[in-house]
Amino acid sequence: MTYVEYKQLNPFQRFAYNTKKFFCNIPHAVAHFFTALGKAIVKFFVGIGKGFANYGKTFVKGDWATKLSYLIFGVGDLSKGKYYKGILFFAVEVLYILYMAFFGWGYLKMFPTLGIQAQRTEYINGIIPKQVPGDNSMLILLYSVLTLVITVVVFAIYITNIKDAYRHQIMKANGQKPTSFKYDMKQFLDGKYHITLMSFPVLMIGIFNVLPLIFMILIAFTNYDKQHMPPGTLFTWIGFDNFGSLFNLVEGAKKGYTFIKLTEWTLIWAVAATFSNYILGMIFALMINKKGIKFKSLWRTLFVITIAVPQFVSLLLMNQMLQSNGAVNILLSNITNSHVEIQWLNQDATLARWVVIIINCWVGIPYTILSMSGILMNIPEDLYESARIDGAGPVKTFTAITLPYMLFVTTPQLITQFVGNINNFNVIYLLSNGNPTTEKYYQAGETDILVTWLFKLTMNSQDYGLAAAIGILVFVICATLSLIVYNNSKSMKDEEAFS
Amino acid sequence: MKKILAILLAGMMTATALVGCGGGDASSKTDNGSKADNGSSDGAAKIEGSIVDDSYFGDEGTDSKPVTLKVWAPDAAVSLVKEQVEAFKKAYPNRKFKEISVVAQGEKDAATNMLNDATTAADVFSFPSDQLNKLVDAGVISQVAFKDAVTEANDEGTVKAGTLNGTLYAYPETNDNGYYLVYDKSVVSDEQAQTLEGVLDACKKAGKKFIMNAGDGYYACTFAFTAGVKIDGLEKDGITQKFVKYDEDEAVKTLQAFAKLIKDYRGTFQSLDVANIASGFASGKCGAGIDGSWDTASNQKALGDNFGAAKLPTINVNGTDKQLISMFGYKYIGVNGSSKFPATAQILAHYLAGEECQLQRTEKLGWGPANKKVQENKAVTGSPVLKAIGEQAKNACIQVNVANTFWDPMANLGNKIIADTCDPSDAAAMKKLLNETISNVRDEG
Amino acid sequence: MIKSYKLRRHIANAFVYLFLIVMGFVWISPFIYLLMHSFRGGAEIYGSTIIPQEWTLQNYIDLFTGSGGTASLNFPRWFLNTFVVACFSCVISTISVLMVSYAFSRLRFKARKKFMNVGMILGMFPGFMTMIAIYYLLKAMGLTQTLVALVICYSCGAGLGFQISKGFFDTIPRALDEAATIDGATKNQIFWKIILPMSKPIVVYTVLTSFIGPWTDFILAKIIMGDARDNYTVAIGLQLMIDQDFKNTYYKQFLAGSVVVAVPITLLFLKMQKYYVEGVTAGGVKG
Repeated sequence: MTYVEYKQLNPFQRFAYNTKKFFCNIPHAVAHFFTALGKAIVKFFVGIGKGFANYGKTFVKGDWATKLSYLIFGVGDLSKGKYYKGILFFAVEVLYILYMAFFGWGYLKMFPTLGIQAQRTEYINGIIPKQVPGDNSMLILLYSVLTLVITVVVFAIYITNIKDAYRHQIMKANGQKPTSFKYDMKQFLDGKYHITLMSFPVLMIGIFNVLPLIFMILIAFTNYDKQHMPPGTLFTWIGFDNFGSLFNLVEGAKKGYTFIKLTEWTLIWAVAATFSNYILGMIFALMINKKGIKFKSLWRTLFVITIAVPQFVSLLLMNQMLQSNGAVNILLSNITNSHVEIQWLNQDATLARWVVIIINCWVGIPYTILSMSGILMNIPEDLYESARIDGAGPVKTFTAITLPYMLFVTTPQLITQFVGNINNFNVIYLLSNGNPTTEKYYQAGETDILVTWLFKLTMNSQDYGLAAAIGILVFVICATLSLIVYNNSKSMKDEEAFS
Repeated sequence: MKKILAILLAGMMTATALVGCGGGDASSKTDNGSKADNGSSDGAAKIEGSIVDDSYFGDEGTDSKPVTLKVWAPDAAVSLVKEQVEAFKKAYPNRKFKEISVVAQGEKDAATNMLNDATTAADVFSFPSDQLNKLVDAGVISQVAFKDAVTEANDEGTVKAGTLNGTLYAYPETNDNGYYLVYDKSVVSDEQAQTLEGVLDACKKAGKKFIMNAGDGYYACTFAFTAGVKIDGLEKDGITQKFVKYDEDEAVKTLQAFAKLIKDYRGTFQSLDVANIASGFASGKCGAGIDGSWDTASNQKALGDNFGAAKLPTINVNGTDKQLISMFGYKYIGVNGSSKFPATAQILAHYLAGEECQLQRTEKLGWGPANKKVQENKAVTGSPVLKAIGEQAKNACIQVNVANTFWDPMANLGNKIIADTCDPSDAAAMKKLLNETISNVRDEG
Repeated sequence: MIKSYKLRRHIANAFVYLFLIVMGFVWISPFIYLLMHSFRGGAEIYGSTIIPQEWTLQNYIDLFTGSGGTASLNFPRWFLNTFVVACFSCVISTISVLMVSYAFSRLRFKARKKFMNVGMILGMFPGFMTMIAIYYLLKAMGLTQTLVALVICYSCGAGLGFQISKGFFDTIPRALDEAATIDGATKNQIFWKIILPMSKPIVVYTVLTSFIGPWTDFILAKIIMGDARDNYTVAIGLQLMIDQDFKNTYYKQFLAGSVVVAVPITLLFLKMQKYYVEGVTAGGVKG
């Protein structure tokens, strides 16, 4: 379709065209994602290569101070009169060496084995048993990761130090003076303001998110489980065995079976939960915002209370109400005037899954109402106008205009919700706790999703290695899905639209 | 002479420990071989009841090394244990204790909390027998120092269940961790309480409920045990559950009998969380239930004089009354392997698990003792609850060496038997269910 | 013709009202149930009727005075703990989020896109995968079983939640910044004097969400606190009340405690609702 043809369409047809294009684009987006991934990897290695080339080149061209900076941090800066920076660089080197000598190296050298000396028992007075601590695999791994991260950071500082030395050398050659301390500090409030803003949050995220994450990713390749638990016993590297047991599809292999089945249910759950909330929430929002409806804020408030009440209260309450002697059955008994005793959550897997999805609507729809109300008001009136001229009824208008428009505008949000639902621990854990139980799964019930399984494996059966492997796979699922959609979504590409 | 003896002993015990670690299959042999070890140390220093000779402390609890310990006790017992700790301090007047704190910690999660971080966990802690495997596997529990004194003083069953691969790992504390029949005497007569049919019938006639949490593997395994499918420790691999040999036809018939009875009394028989039993007694909606020893106090409070306790009833299978077999366990006091004061921790654990302390627990908390002498005390023989528990203990599988994979299939078995869809007359389906349950318990995947 | 159109609209509106009334009732009925049963008296643990037969204030009195059971359940203390943690983590989180999202929205620097992508990727790992590692890191710092540890946990990852506020900042016209720059304002001044005053909705949104967090988390907090019951937050405390060992004694106090926790948060939320909606709408579309 040419541009002119496109311009001749009425808004309604344009809309249909755009929507169709969006969905037809998905396979392309998938392909694009993988090519982009490939390119990024190539670029990364080329970058490293270039880095090395520059490293050598700078050394050849550098003066004595720059060359000495390859060994002693900050010499370049100091020699050119940039004292505070030079001292800082030098301090980093000293601190790093001290850290490695007194702490880091001791752990890092045991990283390949994760410890060899197990805890052993000695006897005081020949009778009182006393455990003599051996190597602690977990601390070795944790501090090794810490040391590695610190090393990477120090290496980055090292490279900066060399670049800085060379930069000052060039500046000196051109007769320029290095900038003053005061000027540099001022820059942190203006030109380099991003460093001021970002350093604290990035540091926190680095320590409490990135570092633990690297640690746990590594745990997935160890046999850290209930029979290999520090400090009592050691654990060690086992390669891909944990992943192997998850993908083991041989008949009777329980972990593999559980993984496949739970992945299946997790995806069904995520799709059902996301779209039920999304569509029903939209309908609710439309009704509240309908012309001529009064007390809009009252209605909204009624629904929004579920957001405000902590989930562990509201969901535990729901769990209690859905027990066989709970409020729901009492109510049904009163209405039907007979004894009703439905096991909503504990017996029938299909029923329990429906209940979980429905209760999740109760939890989730208010969020949709809140976030949709504003956007719904922004749908161009002429879209509805042209639909009305085409003779579309309210249902048709909803499916042909409102829904596609919203889908189009809120795709990123939808993806966030989808990922959120894959990781929706609270609803499952507090509401059904994975029940009904089944003998076919390993440490999981019929309504367990992957994250609640992960949690149960950590808390109940101490299968840390396996749990970490599941965590990685959950991540892979989430990341692949979202990257594909993000790349495909127009609203992401329009980021600079307002500027 | 003492020193040489001590060194010899240490050597022997290290050897035993090594053998013990070497492989599970050697366990039964080392059990006999190591009998002599701790025993002869009696000659070195005295152990009198729960009080041991000061020399066992080594350098702990002196001015230069004052002791700081933490004790975990379940909430109900905290104030009593605090008193007992004070008494312990008085019993060793020559020792310096900086602080021995008693912290409330539910026994149900004791092992989980120990495994989460043994170094900040308690030095001395109380736990039920089924957690022993976990604790030993992870190497966070220290073995018992005063093995002979403990073995002599306590019930054989409790000592046996606390022993893994020939090593005794914990001090027996109670012999009561199980469930029994509680009933409202105004609804169910003592005689009716003897049979499941009688109990259900009485409840139905009074329009009240009989509550058993058949959706929980801990209670549901009663079905399997009564059917003759009893557990028998673990296989050599240490993770697979072993079962005794059983007569399949007989087992299927028993399960069918359960299913039929439950179907006949649908509406009366209710599978609910046990907390509903006390609640139901209070509101007059519940006539009887199968509940654990830990809920005794609330049930007694709810029923007052009408409180009745008995061993689990029998069920009629093709004309013969079969006794319901339950899961039954003990509680132990363990010593943390990472304790900074291992000697004091051991001596304190030994004291807390001693005769006086057990008697106090029986008198003040109503807990069933593991100590043989206390078992003969009036406080035990005169208590209907402890009597019921004691009788049930004779008809029970001991909750030790239970595989991780045991509970879910058992819960499933319970759920299937009580389901509306269950057809009691379909022997083939029941057989399939039983076989699936067994194979799923044994399958670790 | 006109009349029939009006009539039709009235009928349609009547249906909408009916729908909203029914659904509104469905939505809040669990909370009405909770409220009623928190005043339930009698010996029953779980209610066997929809409307309680006996009414009492005892559950609330027991909850605050601890007269119902052992002293280790100290609800007022837990409430205070949670309040303190919520205040501190709310301040730190809000500042981090606003800083990060302003940087991503307004400043152009090397690796900006890369940082944003990394941020997004980190958000996709299941949260409690890292619990054990965080626990041992805090332990190495000597912070386990303290409230400081909780503040750190709840605010450290805040920077990762930049999407919504970045989306909001994106909607503020760039022309404002440019005019200010011409007038000689630094980036710092633009942030504090121009952008922040215009961002009330998103600030309130961030404050609200980070304030509520500590009241609802019951997993990480439990692991960090272990047996130190004096330092519990309400969420773990209330969970403890319905633990097997306590259920029989404390279930009704648990209901009362839930009400005590839910009411202030709900009021706060309702009061701030307007800003929440503005923040989420503006930020959500672009985010």
